[in-house]
Amino acid sequence: MATNFFENQDRARKKTSLLVFLFAAAVVAILATLYALAVLVVGFQGQDPSTGAMRWNLDWWSPELLSQATLFTLFVVGGGSLYKIAQLRAGGSVVAEGLGGRLLHADTLDPNERKLLNVVEEMAIASGTATPPVYLLDREVGINAFAAGFTPNDAVIGVTRGCAEALTRDELQGVIAHEFSHILNGDMRLNLRLIGVIYGILIIGMLGYWLLRSAAWSGAGHRRNNRDNSGAVLLAVGFGLMVIGFLGTFFGNLIKASVSRQREFFADASAVQFTRNPDGIAGALKKIAGLAAGSRIDHPNAPEASHMFFGRALPSLFATHPPLEERIRRLDPTFDGKLSESVSEPAAAGAMSGFAAGPAGAAVNQIGAATSAHVDQAARLIASLPSEVTRAAYETWGARAVIYSLLIADEDPTRRQQLEWLRKYADDGVLDETERLIPMVGGLGATQRMTLIDLVIPALRELSQTQYRAFKDNVGALVAADRKIDVFEWTLQRILWQHLAPVFETVRPTRTRFRSLARVAPACAVVLSTLAWAGARTRTAAESAFARGANDLGLSDLRLIEPEQSGLDDLDGALALLDGLAPLRKGELLHACAVAAGADSEITDREVELVRATADSLGCPMPPLLAGQALV
Amino acid sequence: MIAGLVLLGIVLALVAFVVGIYNRLVALGNRYKNAFAQIEVQLKRRHDLIPNLVETAKGYMAHERETLDAVISARNQATAGLERAASDPTNAEAVKGLGSAEGALSGAVGRLFAVMEAYPDLKANQNMMQLSEELTSTENKVSFARQAFNDAVTAYNIYRQSFPTVVLAGMFGHPSDAALLEFDSEAIAEAPKVSF
Repeated sequence: MATNFFENQDRARKKTSLLVFLFAAAVVAILATLYALAVLVVGFQGQDPSTGAMRWNLDWWSPELLSQATLFTLFVVGGGSLYKIAQLRAGGSVVAEGLGGRLLHADTLDPNERKLLNVVEEMAIASGTATPPVYLLDREVGINAFAAGFTPNDAVIGVTRGCAEALTRDELQGVIAHEFSHILNGDMRLNLRLIGVIYGILIIGMLGYWLLRSAAWSGAGHRRNNRDNSGAVLLAVGFGLMVIGFLGTFFGNLIKASVSRQREFFADASAVQFTRNPDGIAGALKKIAGLAAGSRIDHPNAPEASHMFFGRALPSLFATHPPLEERIRRLDPTFDGKLSESVSEPAAAGAMSGFAAGPAGAAVNQIGAATSAHVDQAARLIASLPSEVTRAAYETWGARAVIYSLLIADEDPTRRQQLEWLRKYADDGVLDETERLIPMVGGLGATQRMTLIDLVIPALRELSQTQYRAFKDNVGALVAADRKIDVFEWTLQRILWQHLAPVFETVRPTRTRFRSLARVAPACAVVLSTLAWAGARTRTAAESAFARGANDLGLSDLRLIEPEQSGLDDLDGALALLDGLAPLRKGELLHACAVAAGADSEITDREVELVRATADSLGCPMPPLLAGQALV
Repeated sequence: MIAGLVLLGIVLALVAFVVGIYNRLVALGNRYKNAFAQIEVQLKRRHDLIPNLVETAKGYMAHERETLDAVISARNQATAGLERAASDPTNAEAVKGLGSAEGALSGAVGRLFAVMEAYPDLKANQNMMQLSEELTSTENKVSFARQAFNDAVTAYNIYRQSFPTVVLAGMFGHPSDAALLEFDSEAIAEAPKVSF
């Protein structure tokens, strides 16, 4: 299944070329229409007063007019698209807030919000990534949801109020699973590009509308018998631009439909595997069909993002989503078109054919392809954490103490030093809270600790810039107290900064820069060395583990790097570089990492978590291992 | 044609620059509004603890009516102030009003605890110990959330006042600075009355 995830990411990248081509075609069409309009306007000679006929002097070839029209088109369309793309660089939160979304806080007391957050949390842990920010679209009564962002690390999820209130937990899970599959399949980046590109095309229509209104405004003050045609010209131009605008919308929706429609079916199919109850997503679709508002989005900014939603947000000639009935039927062949309250029967075997979850293969093959078994396990993992600890984890103040408590050592000189540091530099009460939590987190296993870190991220996102700096310094000091970095400390920092950096530091979305592993061979060596050393007790064991990884990668010339040179900074640098690898190569690299980590006979939880953190860093989250599952 | 393209390039760059300013103002504004939501949660918690506290104290301090009533009335003022500020955190007056209401509440609660010193039975009461523990913990969280809010407001104000943003800010719907949330307590100015 892993090949599916990386292939999907690859495919999504290729779709971008199609997008660019269609966009270029649209611009040419718009330019042609604009030019024709310009010729008409310039050639209009007024009305013959006696006959009332219009006189034209049309000169269809005018290079000067053409160049002006080209400049204008480039200016507006290019400018518009660039503006939108630049605006979206900040990530999914821009889209969410632009649609009227309100960020939900992890320590909310509202039961509907809490239910929604719990569902999102389970899905995130099951996929092997941190809980993304969740935005609630308070004023939307339709049932709909979306996911936006460039990578799984900076994704956000938006849900309408109608969705949060009308759906059962299972149905909500189906919708969220659908959105998560978009996140994990690379659709989001494509969708964001779509918004940017189409915005430029839509702008001309908006400009025309504005001109029309201005013409009507100035025309109202005109005296009669005035031979001045300027008002009429303005009117004509405005009208003409609006026509072009319709053309723009036509092309815009055509582009959206060709690029995103098939992906909706695919996301539905992925979601079925991902949820506990496959009827959930069908149930949600049925509820949309049965609701008067359906999946409608009322916000004025909806048109530019209509392709990103779970259900059809706006009526349009080229539908961005497949028909509702067809989607329902693919999930539930017994659907008879009636939208009455049907008791959800256990899914017939036929409905599941093609989506049947096979026997759980190796974990590394389930990257981006979590199943309902993972969701069950995620729920169990979250429930296994002490409630006092999760309560602290959900609020920004206590979340820091949770992380500190995970870093406090057991042995004395280090422990005393760390607590002393907190006493001197942490805010009031934080030391006490940390000491209170230490015994509670002491008994947690490696996977539970990773789960806890994933749960803490949303609250930490709400730190202020200064508080974040202080937190980062404290974490650094606690880790440095024993003068060496162990696997856990590395993994913890990796996950924390990976998910928090997009919020607090400017992070450029990564482009694919490397298509072959040979070009990044040194970075691969650093990563494989770390994994080899982490699991080995002797040098020979490390060398053998490294060799197996390097062979798996097809780079047998690589040599094991000394631990002094594969330290934390080197690793961070290497992973930053490797983030620019093409998706299929990333898959190969992660497979090799798993081979290197699993080379010795005994693979510890800590090694597994190390591999998972590496995968998460590269934007390819790996679900936690199921009981008895092999890593590779 | 070349001149046209060059002009186009310059204009586009200018537009991009201006748009960037607009977006940053929006982003920083949203940041501090989100931060306000955090304080709201903690302040509500603080307000909810007060009535319990007063009820428990009443059993032991029946004669200290004035002090107890002052706490309840300050608490009600604070709740009202919170509602007003929450409905529009961009309203500087509402935020300042909240600040003084919370400051007054802190003062009243402080006086209550000072008076409680004379009632060792009350101090030893299990319920009271738990409540004051929760109150202290909530105070820490309020302080933390307030710091985050003020950080966000400061970042917004600094950016808004900088050049050339300040020239455009009014046009873009950001005419004035946002208000910091300070819990100034008038009670601090009063010397505590000691009666023998």
